[in-house]
Amino acid sequence: MEDQKKTILVIDDDENLLTATRDLLENWGYRVYTHKRGFGSTVAIDLVKPDLVLLDINMPGLPGDRLAGLIKSFEATKNVPVVFYSSNDEDTLRKAVSDSKVTGYIPKGDLYELRQKVKQYLGRS
Amino acid sequence: MPIRPTGPKEIDGGSREEETVHVDTQVGGLITSMEHVHPGAMVKHTADRFFCDVTLEAVAIVDCMEPVGLITRNRLLMKLFRLYGYELYGRKPIIEMADTCPLFVHSEESLDVALDMAMCRPFQDIYDELVVVNSNGHYAGLLSVKDLVVRQSHALANSIVQKELANAKASELEKMGKVKSQFLANVTHELRSPVNAIISLAELMQMSCGKGYIGQLKDRLSLLISSAASLKAIINNVLDLSKIEAGKMTAIYEEFDAVRKLDEVVETARVLIGNKPVGARLVTSRQSLCIESDPVKFRQIILNLLSNAAKFTERGEITVRAEIDGGHILVSVSDTGPGIKPEDMEKLFTAFGQIEDAKTKRHEGTGLGLTVTRHLVGLPGGDIRLESQWGRGTAFLCGCL
Repeated sequence: MEDQKKTILVIDDDENLLTATRDLLENWGYRVYTHKRGFGSTVAIDLVKPDLVLLDINMPGLPGDRLAGLIKSFEATKNVPVVFYSSNDEDTLRKAVSDSKVTGYIPKGDLYELRQKVKQYLGRS
Repeated sequence: MPIRPTGPKEIDGGSREEETVHVDTQVGGLITSMEHVHPGAMVKHTADRFFCDVTLEAVAIVDCMEPVGLITRNRLLMKLFRLYGYELYGRKPIIEMADTCPLFVHSEESLDVALDMAMCRPFQDIYDELVVVNSNGHYAGLLSVKDLVVRQSHALANSIVQKELANAKASELEKMGKVKSQFLANVTHELRSPVNAIISLAELMQMSCGKGYIGQLKDRLSLLISSAASLKAIINNVLDLSKIEAGKMTAIYEEFDAVRKLDEVVETARVLIGNKPVGARLVTSRQSLCIESDPVKFRQIILNLLSNAAKFTERGEITVRAEIDGGHILVSVSDTGPGIKPEDMEKLFTAFGQIEDAKTKRHEGTGLGLTVTRHLVGLPGGDIRLESQWGRGTAFLCGCL
């Protein structure tokens, strides 16, 4: 059964939110890895080989939308579904999704939506 | 609408008049003098008129309402000078020495065209007055070219100034718009982040309770409290700024001990510093320092400065100094943080003017704190300035009444 668990990598610089999101997702039965900054994310993805990446946008140094472009440009990481997970307003998120060709977005703060969308995006992959 | 040969200069339509009134001023409205004399009048009499009125530059020669010539002061003087000694000349009719083909312009002619026509004349005649005639051919008055030139250059200067003002205003508005939309993106993110953390943490605590994992509660609770506190700080700044902008922020004066107040605030700052290797201390030569000011605003000012120092200082020390200088209290807050580049100092006190870009910034906050602080310091007539060296730390000096 344990091997059936889907793996999610959460990339976010906000430690409170990172902790909370990890605990929530684990409670819902996923295997969760976290990464605390934009830099080194592609290595982490290659290492963890997650079924889904939740990616924050506002991060020091390397913001999520630029990072998404990098993830999509590397052979090792380009097929991993990436979803923006951010506190920005939905219009901004929609634009970011269409600009960086990621799978979709989940606005932070709505746990019902987080649960539904994670399930939905994982079902697709 | 019938098109007349003088078409473009005619003003017929109402809307067109509004658009073109500045460039298309009619000469009829600019007449500077109505002076005229009969062609048969004696030279002597006309000369007397020029002699008696030093501002008189020209007189039109008009016969039965119809203009037939122009005599200017210059022309009269030159003629009389050359004919010096011919005393009888004074009895000749003025028309004999007048310019019998001066420039006639229609009273509805536009200023631009009239000026162009005037400037096409031989050099020595360029500044001769123009004789304005009505549509029925009657004399309407004289037009001073010197006057027109002055008027024209004023209009030109005005339009240049206005254009520049409009440009400056437009770019200012554009800048403001940009800053405001950037602020909106920034502040919505800053407001939502702690709310989202609070929701997630509360949900997790509910799960923990449901499962009886009481041990997890403590950690999550302290995270929840810190998220709620940061949300409160942001909301307070936003509300304060709107109160300031509405002119509703006032100071309420009472006597209090500034040293004691500062002691409390430094204590709070230690909490904000958390685990970082940063010390916070109050330096003053006084045991107590009673001042008459607004204690709530005083605390807020110093706390704002201290929380900035706590946020940006990774190691070293934050020092609060309080002294009395000529009846005023002078408080400074200095840190050993990264310092501020000279080019960023101006931005610091502008609302929404955070130095870092919202998307990649390392430090939380709305960029409102110092704007609010400056307004608060200004309430009792104080002022705030900063000294900073990039890489060496920052000091805010705050003089309150």
